[in-house]
Amino acid sequence: MAKTIMIVDDSASMRQVVGIALKGAGYDVIEAADGKDALSKLTGVKIHLIVSDINMPVMDGITFVKEVKQLDLYKFTPIIMLTTEMEEDKKRAAKEAGAKAWVTKPFQPPTLLAAIAKLVLP
Amino acid sequence: MSKIDAIAAYTNELERLLLTISPILSQHVMVSREHTEQEVISLTNRFANMVNELQQIVESTDNTLSDQQHNHLDNISNISRDLLQPVLELLKQIHQVEHSVIGELKQLSGHMSGLNAIADEVHSLAGQINQLADSAASEAALAGGHEQGLATVADGIRKLTDSVTQIDARLSNQIGEVLTVLNAALKISESSVQIDESALLQAESNINQTLSHLGVVLTRYRDDACALRNNADQIRIEISNVLVSLQFQDRVSQILTQVENNLLNLKNTIEKIQQQGSNRDGNMLQVDEAVEHIEENYKSVGAPPNRESDGSDDDLTFF
Repeated sequence: MAKTIMIVDDSASMRQVVGIALKGAGYDVIEAADGKDALSKLTGVKIHLIVSDINMPVMDGITFVKEVKQLDLYKFTPIIMLTTEMEEDKKRAAKEAGAKAWVTKPFQPPTLLAAIAKLVLP
Repeated sequence: MSKIDAIAAYTNELERLLLTISPILSQHVMVSREHTEQEVISLTNRFANMVNELQQIVESTDNTLSDQQHNHLDNISNISRDLLQPVLELLKQIHQVEHSVIGELKQLSGHMSGLNAIADEVHSLAGQINQLADSAASEAALAGGHEQGLATVADGIRKLTDSVTQIDARLSNQIGEVLTVLNAALKISESSVQIDESALLQAESNINQTLSHLGVVLTRYRDDACALRNNADQIRIEISNVLVSLQFQDRVSQILTQVENNLLNLKNTIEKIQQQGSNRDGNMLQVDEAVEHIEENYKSVGAPPNRESDGSDDDLTFF
C-alpha cells in the first residue's frame, strides 16, 4: 500500500513539482497551501511524512512544525523543510521545532526522494 | 498662489498619485504573479508528462533491447547461419551423388567396351567356323558321293556360322547403341556437374554475403536503437533539469508578494499621514525606516536561487 505524504507550500507550482516527483515514486500526496490549511487536514488520516515550506502566509513553516509536534497523532511524523531559505538561524529554528531534514530549493527530485526514503515511517 | 500653497498643492497631488497608482501597480503585480504561476504549472505538467513518456520509452527500449533484443539480434545471424548451413551441405551431398553417378556411368562404359571385345571374338569365331565349313565342304567334294554325310555337316556348320554372324551383328549393333546413349548421358552428367559446381559456389557465396549483410544491418539497427535510447534519455535529463529550473517561479512569486505588500504599506502610510491634515510633515513618512524594512524583507526572498543545485549533500541536511 502506498505511503501518504503531505506537501505544505503556498506556491501551487511548487506543490505540483513536489507532487509529480512523489507520485512518480509511488507515494500518495495530500496538498496544503499553508500551515493552517495543513493543520485542518491532519484529522486522523495516516500521514507517513510531511514536506513543508517555511515562508508561507497565514502560518509559516516553523510555526506549523511546532503545532504538529503538539498533536498526539502526528508528533512522531517526520517533517522535511523544503525552502529557499539559506539562513543558519532559520535552519536552527527548524531543527529546534522538530524538523528532521532540510532541503533547499530549487531541489533535485532524487535528493528529496532520498531524504524521504530515509525518514518515512513504515 | 504663494510658494507654500504651490508646494502644498504639489504634495496633495503627489499623495493622490501614489494612492491611485499603488493599487493599480499592486493589481498588475498580482495578475502577473498569478499568470506566471498558471503558465509555470501548465509547463511543469507538460514537461512532467514528457519526462514520463521518455522514461517509459527508455525503459521499454532498454529492457527489450538490452535483455532480449540484444540477444535476439545476436542470435538472428547465428540462427540464419545454422538454418542455411544444412542446405549448403545438402547441395554438396547432391553434388557428390552426381559425381558418383558419373563414376558409375564411366564404369558401365568400360563394361560395354568389354562386351564389344567379346562381340569381336564371337565375330572371329564365326569366321573360323565358316572356314571350317569351307574345309568340310572341300573334303566332301573331293570324296565325291561317298561322303554325303560330311557335306551335310558342312552345310549345317555354314548355317550355324550365318546365325552366329547375324547374332554378332545384332550384338555389335546393340552395344554400339548403348554406348552412344551412355556417352551422351555421361556428357550431360559431366556438364550438369560443372553447372552444379558453379551454382553451388555461387549459392555459398550468396549465402555468406547475405549473412554478412544481415549482420551489418542488425549491428546498425542495434547501434541506431542504442543511439535513440541514449538521445531519449539525454532529452529526459534535460527536461528534468528544466523542471528544476522552473522552480524559480516560487522565488519570483515570493518577490512579487513582497512588492505587493510594500505597495500596500506605502498606500496605508500615505493614507495615515493624510489623516493628519495640515499637521503632517516629512518625518511622518519615515523614509529610511521604510526603505530598511523593504530591504530586510527582500533579503529573505531576493537572494539568488541555488542554481547550481545538483543533488549534492549541500542541498540536503539531516537534523
